[in-house]
Amino acid sequence: MYEFIQHVINGLAAGTIYALVALGYTMVYGVLKLINFAHGDVMMLGVYVGYAVAFLLGREHLGTISGALLVFAVSLTACAAFGFFIERFAYRPLRDKPRLTSLITAIGISFALSYGFQLDLAVSVGGHSITLLPGAASRRFPAIITPTEWAVLGDNDVIIWNWQVISFVIALTLMGGLQYLVFRTRFGKAMRAVSHDHRVAGLLGIPVDTIIAGTFMLGSALAAGAGILYAIKDKSIQPLMGVMVGLKAFVAAVIGGIGNLPGAVVGALLLGLCEEFIVGYTASSWRDAVAFGFLIVVLLVRPEGLFGRAQAEKV
Amino acid sequence: MSEPLLHARKVSIRFGGLKALSEFDLEIHKGDLKGLIGPNGAGKTTAFNVLTGVYLPSEGEIFVGGQKVNGRRPHQINRLGLARTFQNIRLFKQLTVLDNVRIAVLADRTPLFDRPRVEALRRGNGPSRALGSVMDALDNYRDWWRALLRTPAYLREEEGIEQRARELLEVMGLSHRVDELAKNLPYGEQRRLEISRALGTRPRVLLLDEPAAGMNTREKADLMVLIRELRSRFELGILVIEHDMKLVMGICEHLTVLDHGETISRGEPAAVRADPKVIEAYLGEAPAHG
Amino acid sequence: MKSFAPVAIAIVVLASLQVLTSGSQYFVYLSLLVGVNVVLAVSLNVINGMTGQFSIGHAGFMAVGAFSSALMSQTLNEYRLGFLPEAVEHQLFFVISLVVGGVLAGGFGFLVGLPSLRLRGDYLAIVTLGFGEIILVVVRNTPTLGGALGLSGTPQHTSFFMVWFTVFIVVLFARRLLASPHGRNLVAIREDEVAAEAMGVDTTSYKVRSFVVSSFFAGVAGGLFSHFQSIITPGDSFSFVKSMEIVVMIVAGGLGSTTGAVVAAVVLTLLPEAMRALFITIGGDNASLAQSIDQLRKPIFGVLLVVMMLTRPQGLFGTHEIWDLLKRKKGAAS
Repeated sequence: MYEFIQHVINGLAAGTIYALVALGYTMVYGVLKLINFAHGDVMMLGVYVGYAVAFLLGREHLGTISGALLVFAVSLTACAAFGFFIERFAYRPLRDKPRLTSLITAIGISFALSYGFQLDLAVSVGGHSITLLPGAASRRFPAIITPTEWAVLGDNDVIIWNWQVISFVIALTLMGGLQYLVFRTRFGKAMRAVSHDHRVAGLLGIPVDTIIAGTFMLGSALAAGAGILYAIKDKSIQPLMGVMVGLKAFVAAVIGGIGNLPGAVVGALLLGLCEEFIVGYTASSWRDAVAFGFLIVVLLVRPEGLFGRAQAEKV
Repeated sequence: MSEPLLHARKVSIRFGGLKALSEFDLEIHKGDLKGLIGPNGAGKTTAFNVLTGVYLPSEGEIFVGGQKVNGRRPHQINRLGLARTFQNIRLFKQLTVLDNVRIAVLADRTPLFDRPRVEALRRGNGPSRALGSVMDALDNYRDWWRALLRTPAYLREEEGIEQRARELLEVMGLSHRVDELAKNLPYGEQRRLEISRALGTRPRVLLLDEPAAGMNTREKADLMVLIRELRSRFELGILVIEHDMKLVMGICEHLTVLDHGETISRGEPAAVRADPKVIEAYLGEAPAHG
Repeated sequence: MKSFAPVAIAIVVLASLQVLTSGSQYFVYLSLLVGVNVVLAVSLNVINGMTGQFSIGHAGFMAVGAFSSALMSQTLNEYRLGFLPEAVEHQLFFVISLVVGGVLAGGFGFLVGLPSLRLRGDYLAIVTLGFGEIILVVVRNTPTLGGALGLSGTPQHTSFFMVWFTVFIVVLFARRLLASPHGRNLVAIREDEVAAEAMGVDTTSYKVRSFVVSSFFAGVAGGLFSHFQSIITPGDSFSFVKSMEIVVMIVAGGLGSTTGAVVAAVVLTLLPEAMRALFITIGGDNASLAQSIDQLRKPIFGVLLVVMMLTRPQGLFGTHEIWDLLKRKKGAAS
């Protein structure tokens, strides 16, 4: 029984990370109808920014709340800026081209980021060597939140960590907040209009470029936040980490019904649980097959996702 | 009277709570030239989409060539003799004019198995359906091999296809455009190419969705004459959607008027024109047209 | 019998080339790599270029072909027919294994093609990607296929002739397909699925068929590949990265153009090798430099994709073919 409970907890924790990444995914897709394949790599970028900040802060600030907040703040800002950058220079020029063009571009960005970060590149300035690109080796992410056992059941049979709870609360809060943003604010109304038809939205005086850029920045910042939580959990980081997490988050978003925020969270939690149970009761080498197997089943049985609405194509 | 080529009986379709088409009735016989009119958003194109199998009707029955086609896929319905054009022109833009028509032209070939029998099997269920699918696949793979090996019979068929496509283009006055890309054609010619393409499938009933949209008055008049010619030349039944009432009055022998998915009037053009319901629908909805 | 003439000519030309090049092992190895990539690119172009579906899991089908044909070959190698000379027998077994690998990959193509009935664009892309990943996970967990360590001991049967004859066949196939009603139907689906369906094209079946034939050739390519590698592992040579490399090739060449796929596959396979050779000539035997070329390749591919999409989304050749241009020229001259 304890084993089962522990699996549920671990599954939810893993699902939480997917959920955070999936929220960004689903939002960007909702507005642009673009699978931003580079989303996971933006997350990776955020993790490395966080790593650099934590490194510069030094050991004495690790584990303090202000230190952790600073790491998050810088990383989120950097990724938001990067999100703005790729939207402005890579996606916007292609907005009215066939969707495949943007998809290929997204894949290209993902490739350039994840493999670019595998290069070793350092310059030396005034005797100091400054690393520009981190290289392929995995690095240990500093413990910016000191891991504490938050609750223990039985004789160390079930352990809940503080970061698991923190992540979970953050994910749910964000889901609520984003839902509010999309359905209750002017920005959200504009987002929905752009999502419906960006040309018409533009004619109606909605600043389409601003809305899309804003969505992208928000999504990228979310990815960065999720990435840091992920790094706290996994402790080791490497340039390819974003690829698989990104794909799985996308899978989660599709399972929940792409474009649907609560759907993304539920899909992600389901996926996390599924993975945990299959890995827990078979072998960890099957982990990566679970998500895609799940995806294919969902798409075959209910292509619009669990919470999505089927859309008839206009002829 | 003979069996209609296209027969819709009390066809309704709902999207969510909205009834886009309700109790729609229609009969098209050989030689008919009927019109489907109504203000914007009346459900005319929806009616076409239901008839051609793009949408599944929520209620009612549709027969093409005497066969019930509810739930059949659009390509199957097309093969029973129903072809259409699109309101927003859906040509294969990157292909040449000739290829656009060639795709539609069916090869005059002898299939491995009797086509209607295979189709009948595929409509069944369980083992007969599986058998039908296997026969269809076998036939198709044989066809692929013939194409890849370029057997003499295949080459003859190809010639036949090309010849027929050229004939159709000639009829539609597009002979001089054969090798051009469809997207480079002027608007009016694109519309005519769409009609040639539809004719390529050897239809018995032709559905034209606003074929004159975007044309000037003179082009429209020419097109209407051409449509009449097509009817007699290819022995077709034709149903034309038209937004502009004056225009259809001239050529159609029978009109059905839709408004909000309801059939508000039907009959001879003169009678329809005088129908107060029609006048109200048009004046109320879109006074600019009419 | 005119249609067989090119085949006969190809056999003679390739056989003589085989003899001529047999001296240089490096050249032969490179030509095998290039040939396999050409087969992969041309076959992927059938799905992505002609039919307009977007598969990014081609390496998965290649993996199916590679592992199954390697296993088949290893099994067959234990038997002797006796009445044939050993060399002939080897080639016969090799061809059988290739076909088995291809057919199996084609079967998987059918399975993956089925969801394409209901999915379009980006969803399909994700499913194909997922399929590729699942295949690798399955291989990793199957001891018979060598597990994570990889499968070794496959007889090294692949020759210059076999690879380039396959290249010839796949190009001929692509060309004749495109000129046939079937090819036109595939292209119609790419151009406008709704219109194609309305014109009587059974879009569902055609999409599945394009998956099947494309996967078949990917499987054969995998078989060719596994028969000149001392060991095949469920890693980089069949991963998402490999799939993306093939996508880059056909996008760079121009989606829909077989000529483009061939040219891009040749250039993009040789480019890193040429650069490496160049660096070795310049900097002596500088190992780190040569190695960084290998590392640079992938990010450069990524940047190349982005730049290509922004500046020339139709690729090098668009949807044009070299033989069409030649024909037009001939037509103009006469």
